[in-house]
Amino acid sequence: MASLALRSIARNSLVSRALGSQARLLSSSTLTKKSNYNTPDFGDYIKPNGANEKSRAFTYFMVGSFGLLSTAGAKSTVEAFLQTMSASADVLAMAKVEVKLAAIPEGKNVIVKWQGKPVFIRHRTSEEIAEANAVDISSLRDPQQDADRAKNPEWLVMLGICTHLGCVPIGESGDFGGWFCPCHGSHYDISGRIRKGPAPLNLEVPEYEFADPETLIVG
Amino acid sequence: MVFYNALRNILYKRNSVFVATVFTGAFVFQASFDVGVTKWYEYHNRGKLWKDIKPRILAGGDGAEDEDEEDDE
Repeated sequence: MASLALRSIARNSLVSRALGSQARLLSSSTLTKKSNYNTPDFGDYIKPNGANEKSRAFTYFMVGSFGLLSTAGAKSTVEAFLQTMSASADVLAMAKVEVKLAAIPEGKNVIVKWQGKPVFIRHRTSEEIAEANAVDISSLRDPQQDADRAKNPEWLVMLGICTHLGCVPIGESGDFGGWFCPCHGSHYDISGRIRKGPAPLNLEVPEYEFADPETLIVG
Repeated sequence: MVFYNALRNILYKRNSVFVATVFTGAFVFQASFDVGVTKWYEYHNRGKLWKDIKPRILAGGDGAEDEDEEDDE
């Protein structure tokens, strides 16, 4: 029984020697336990005291510097792509229209083109302002105060596009002394509010401001 | 050696600090690089830029036109 076990161990050790690593685990002899790897002498390459820290700092510095450059490059690439989405200079140049108000006498309409759309500018008389304010708001289809539609009651600025199907209404006509759309017969009053006909909403008021009392900037 | 050790302890030891330093450095670098390149460009092209010739043009376009004619001849 003992000899059989010994033989099996011997066979095992023979097989294990071929596998390498297991030989040391199975063998009890110190000779096989010992590694046969000769550690080279790095003495010639080890830097004098402290120089290793310098070299490590330099390595990290280089890694960081190239990281920094790559980050800056990636950032400007992304910025360049994002800038293609913003409005170009020619679009921005067309985005605003300047109107000299001194040329428009009281009680007259002027139509200017702004971003391809007609903009009605009316210099209203005091009677017209009174008429626009006299309207009972609750009776309107799209209730809106005249003060909410005109920053300066003398000047009414609005988009000349019928809110029904986009025709351009005719000024100083219609049943309410304002605008009349010939396409389907919408009547707007002197504040550009819908009073009669199929249009659902008042004429739209664009963004505008008075740069000075004589200059209107639409846009 | 003290310097390198300090550098390691402050910047390199923690990766979060290292990466954050690199990213903020990229922002600072980009801004300063931009300023630097613009300065160099303006120095290289001084006398030809709009901001240089603007007062002369606005004073009366004659001067500039004369110069153009001289160039043609």
